[in-house]
Amino acid sequence: MAAPGKVSVVLKTVKKIAIQFSPFESNVRSTRQFLSMVGSEKARATNMNCEVITVVKHDKSEPVVDITYVDGDRLVMKGANLTISEMMNAFQSRCRDKDPQAKSGEKK
Amino acid sequence: MAATLCVKLLPKQGWLPLTQIVRHGSKSVTRHRRPMHILKQKLMAVTEYIPPPPAAPRGAYPSQSRKVKEGSPLVLLMKKEMGKVFQENKMVAVAQNNGCNAEDMMMLRHSLYKHDIRVRFFPNEVARLFLKESIYCNMTPLFMGPTILIVSKEPKVKEMLKTLRGSPQMTLVGGCIENTLLSVQGLQNYSKLPSVTVVQGELVSGLTMMTSRTASLLQRHPTHLSALLQQYIKQQSSDAGAEAAPKAEEAT
Repeated sequence: MAAPGKVSVVLKTVKKIAIQFSPFESNVRSTRQFLSMVGSEKARATNMNCEVITVVKHDKSEPVVDITYVDGDRLVMKGANLTISEMMNAFQSRCRDKDPQAKSGEKK
Repeated sequence: MAATLCVKLLPKQGWLPLTQIVRHGSKSVTRHRRPMHILKQKLMAVTEYIPPPPAAPRGAYPSQSRKVKEGSPLVLLMKKEMGKVFQENKMVAVAQNNGCNAEDMMMLRHSLYKHDIRVRFFPNEVARLFLKESIYCNMTPLFMGPTILIVSKEPKVKEMLKTLRGSPQMTLVGGCIENTLLSVQGLQNYSKLPSVTVVQGELVSGLTMMTSRTASLLQRHPTHLSALLQQYIKQQSSDAGAEAAPKAEEAT
């Protein structure tokens, strides 16, 4: 599945993204796609201070994406049963909400 | 603009002029987006494309993905290449690169080439087809997303890990060293192992330690006896020397 829509990933409100998965499991497809989208050049260019940390484990654990926002909120997504579009929707809707009001006013 | 001009010039309705004045002073091709005439705007708004509603909702049927034709010559060639790669190289590692730009890629390839480690690219579909038929079928789940193969003839895991730690975009996912599938932790443990010669030396020294101990135990008594005899001889010679020296003094 390609990226849902052509909306670029904006990481301005994100402080840290920690992704962990075990590649030999069969349910990591969406997590790996999420990683490739978030770690792309464009996404990283939106916020140079955001860290993307990947941990590759081998203990049959579930793939987990842990996002820490600038204002301290955390979003934990367990990617075992999520599709990439659901993950991106959830992530981007929260990012847009957290964006400062002036930016969303300009967009409108 | 031409229409407004024509209205005045042509009294009869529906009579198109032979020549149409196109140039009116303002250009049609501009560097900025020319504001559309209101009539054209209305026309464009009315004739916008409305896609037909999908017969089934999006997630109902599996998406029709482009399937790689198995028999095509390019695929066969790539499969042969992969076979060669797996045969020639003792170490084959799979890494995922999210958004590595060309410059970083070049630097990475250069630093790996210094240790005689090459970087190869194969499409995931071809990789899956090849792995199904070969003995490495358990590596199939590793090939997902944007992956690259890092291969080398000698298993130089330490240098590879060091170089990959330098680039944050590369994520090592797994590897196959001498036909043994290893995870990331396995690769790290492999890198911490001492080299073959060191291990062989340790083994040999451990085995010979036992035999040398028994040999020294057996020879303990004779060596003790020979040491004592030597000491006795020394004492005798020193006594003889001591007797000869006072005799020589008495004589002189």
